[in-house]
Amino acid sequence: MKYEAVIGLEVHAELSTKSKIFCACSTGFGAPINTHTCPVCTGMPGALPVLNREVVHYAAKMGLATGCTVNRLCKSDRKNYFYPDLPKAYQISQFDVPICENGEVFFYVDGEKKSCRLERIHFEEDAGKLLHDEIDGTVVDFNRCGVPLIEMVTRPDLHSSAEAKEFLEMIKTTLSYLDICDCKMEEGSIRCDINVSIRPEGTTELGTRVEMKNVNTFSGAVRAIDYEIARQIDVVEHGGTIQQETRRWDDVKLKNTVMRTKEDAQDYRYFPDPDLIAVEIDDAWMQKIESEIPELPITRYERYLNEYGMTAMEARQLMDSFAKASMLDAAAASGKVKPKAAANWILSDISKYLNDKNAALEETKLTAEKLVDLIMLIDKGTISGAAGKKVLTQLFETDESAEQIVERLGLKQVSDEGAILSIVQDVLAKNEKAVADYKAGKNVTGFLVGQCMKASRGQGNPQIINKLLAEELAKL
Amino acid sequence: MELFQKTASELSDLLAKKEISAVELTKDVLARTKAVDEKVGAYITVTEEAALAQAGAVDAKRAAGESLSALAGIPIAVKDNICTKGTLTTCASKMLHNFNPPYNATVVDKLLANDAVVTGKVNMDEFAMGSSCENSAMKLTHNPHDLSRVPGGSSGGSAAVVAAGEVPLSLGSDTGGSIRQPASFCGVVGLKPTYGAVSRYGLIAFASSLDQIGPFGRSVEDAAMLLDAITGYDPAHDSTSVKTPFEGTVRANLNSDMKGLKVGLPKEYFGEGISEEVKKAVLAAADQYKAMGAEVFEISLPLSDYALPIYYILSSAEASSNLARFDGVKYGYRTPNAGDDLIDLYVKSRSEGFGEEVQRRIMLGTYVLSSGYYDAYYKKARAAQRKIKEEFANAFNQCDVILTPVAPTTAYEIGAKTTDPLAMYAGDICTVSINIAGLPALVQPCGFDSGKMPIGMQLIGRPFGEQTLLNAGLAFEQASGLKNIIAAL
Amino acid sequence: MAITRKEMEHIAALARLDMSGEHFDHLADDMQNIVGMVDKLQQLDLGDITDVINTERKNALREDVVVQEYTPEDLIEPNAPDFQAGGVAVPRVVE
Repeated sequence: MKYEAVIGLEVHAELSTKSKIFCACSTGFGAPINTHTCPVCTGMPGALPVLNREVVHYAAKMGLATGCTVNRLCKSDRKNYFYPDLPKAYQISQFDVPICENGEVFFYVDGEKKSCRLERIHFEEDAGKLLHDEIDGTVVDFNRCGVPLIEMVTRPDLHSSAEAKEFLEMIKTTLSYLDICDCKMEEGSIRCDINVSIRPEGTTELGTRVEMKNVNTFSGAVRAIDYEIARQIDVVEHGGTIQQETRRWDDVKLKNTVMRTKEDAQDYRYFPDPDLIAVEIDDAWMQKIESEIPELPITRYERYLNEYGMTAMEARQLMDSFAKASMLDAAAASGKVKPKAAANWILSDISKYLNDKNAALEETKLTAEKLVDLIMLIDKGTISGAAGKKVLTQLFETDESAEQIVERLGLKQVSDEGAILSIVQDVLAKNEKAVADYKAGKNVTGFLVGQCMKASRGQGNPQIINKLLAEELAKL
Repeated sequence: MELFQKTASELSDLLAKKEISAVELTKDVLARTKAVDEKVGAYITVTEEAALAQAGAVDAKRAAGESLSALAGIPIAVKDNICTKGTLTTCASKMLHNFNPPYNATVVDKLLANDAVVTGKVNMDEFAMGSSCENSAMKLTHNPHDLSRVPGGSSGGSAAVVAAGEVPLSLGSDTGGSIRQPASFCGVVGLKPTYGAVSRYGLIAFASSLDQIGPFGRSVEDAAMLLDAITGYDPAHDSTSVKTPFEGTVRANLNSDMKGLKVGLPKEYFGEGISEEVKKAVLAAADQYKAMGAEVFEISLPLSDYALPIYYILSSAEASSNLARFDGVKYGYRTPNAGDDLIDLYVKSRSEGFGEEVQRRIMLGTYVLSSGYYDAYYKKARAAQRKIKEEFANAFNQCDVILTPVAPTTAYEIGAKTTDPLAMYAGDICTVSINIAGLPALVQPCGFDSGKMPIGMQLIGRPFGEQTLLNAGLAFEQASGLKNIIAAL
Repeated sequence: MAITRKEMEHIAALARLDMSGEHFDHLADDMQNIVGMVDKLQQLDLGDITDVINTERKNALREDVVVQEYTPEDLIEPNAPDFQAGGVAVPRVVE
């Protein structure tokens, strides 16, 4: 029998606020143990939470960007359970009235547009970290306690690991477009729990679902989903039934194991946190949030495909980086260069430089304006393409304009035919062997062009060199 | 008259005129404590050294000509559930027997900013759960007026320490009557402010939506003086804190003119559960108001019948969550008997660290929040809370203050109710509605019973109606002469 | 509503309280009585309870500003029952 997988995700993203959700401690990653703590986030008796305005702002932004309804009025609730990484023994979260509901996220899988509905987005506090390698027992680091998170819960609309991966990538890209999460997977900025069930293909009833925890990378999500689908099919094919349970994914052993069964399901005793009051987003605040939503990644992607005639891969690469795509759009908007030319520079030389330096575009001094100037200099023939690459390297690092760099490095191209003709003639005179080879029918053009370029110290316009060299050779 | 026998207002004047020094005063009250506290048992921790140092510093400031608060140099005792940096804060629980807070509660910072002299931490029912101070894991506190009787609770230490003349002022907390009932039992003035008027930051929570810190003193003016110092919007630390219209100005605006004041007497508070002596004293006070020109009439608050269930559901639900952090991991008591098992560490630390009453409330609170019972108990109690608020709001369309008894009886014998939790809970009948509705209420002595135990009366006000309450309290105090009552010890 | 022993054990487990032996029987009796008392609320008819958010006050929010004033040595260590390697230690947790 053929089976269809039904997958739902609960994605947690850490918000990139400066301070924690309920206290003024830093959210900075990697600080020495327990140095980002205070009475509030360590659950000291008598300490009280005060909600960070920016958390509400960021969560609502994500809601708008994913087509959710933003609840203008929401509240905070306590989720009660005991664990050493949870110092108050309850997590402040949102239960029955989350800040955002009923969204939908669109994404492409192999050129086909798909969507996954979001049931809700709520804000909550992160837990601490348990360290097992320091001592014989376990040490608790409270630095992450109270780092703000949003949890995005999908409907069970995904049907393969590939869809799940593209959905997750789109969530990540959207978070980075909104600048509300630093999206550092290695720091656990985005994590997800995965619900998987299977059903015979063609049926619509939902099967018993299994929840998988401890998935920390998108590629891990793919492996975990593929494993779990195969496991469930295997169980069913061997006459077994799927148990409702929570399983823990091990991305090293590439398998999952039971964490808890339905019987020991928790009773979290959610209730409104009496230490916090209702949150209301009024019209003015809402307008401010709306005004901060940029063009969404999927819209950009489709525009690049449809208006700029890019390949799917090019459009995707540009969409993935807000900074690169924004540079392209700004360059195109100048009306001075062809969008495709700007895209080529961004996708090739600029991307290569950033990769080599392991830098982000916005950290460099390159701007769309400088890029436009550079391309225009090449288009006008003022410098050669090769010289353009040299100029680009400088543009990343200095405040100079492209023209200033060309001037400083003396890269201006020589296009004067008289000057180049004398170089060509000079080269032909000094390279008798090559001339002889030419006469014998060998192709020596490349060599001779190279010699001419060298003689012009790289500044000769290669098109003119080519043209004049061909003419001179023809005369021989 | 010895210094310890004076009211805070009198002492404040003497200090301001430099007729006495803060060190002199502090030494005097500490001597009184040495003389009587063995019998009363109010203090858990006396901070003698720090108090004298603080008093010395205040005297130096005064000598330097600095302009000081009315509270400067006045000794104040603090309930042991209010965090004091570097001074044990136990909540009278084995669970926190060794807890040294790393920070000060907002009210403690305010006391220090006013140059008050904190003399120490006083006894209470464990985690403020109880009405007799007998649920303390630390010690037994006795009623200074009759050492065989309870001082009331949970702020029994705060009331007793003032009644015994060990300090002129103290801070308590009130979740369902914990300031007012002990004030009544000990014959002192106690005020439960409007919810939000005083920051809860640093008050170790029992029930967050009901808890409120308030002052004890031996006169209405003294209570006003301490209220002025502790009131204040605290948006950086307490989301439930509110800007009040009277911040810091109540004492200055005291006015005992009662003409035209409308006093409501809710018939439900004078029913069969209330002792005749108590009823009689409170009704006599009502007559006194009439004589002073107030209008006094009967009103009805029918939802009062449901106040105890609503209170015990809401307060226990919140407590079950608030007290979950006491798990043996981070601070306080950790069982030595857990071995290497985390669950065992939790269960044993909590079962060994919490007393029985606390465990009962945690059980009840966990139950009313648990799956399947939430709607029937917690959610319904929250909805009923709204009705009670509406009922009070309607009552305050008719009257300015509501006058009631504080407790069904005067202070009872130690041990009288310890085996019957429900009998103990029933004693809260006159006070819990006020917390449910978030209202301010003032308690002060209005007479004595045949056994010479103090009887208190309760004046309930509109939200942020503290000024009206204290005005009414002052008028009665002046008319009755029931002021600055210090137990003979 | 009377609470069964099984329910009581479940509640105790959720609350991380030891409810074994004599101690349990004692508390169980008290609990029955207390629940009996609060059950009086069931006599009160409030109709359908629909509103879930208390809106008496709204928006107590802080600005996103960092203030770091504590070190683990003054915040955590003094009260920790077992302080090792910069944090509180607990028996090994198997996740």
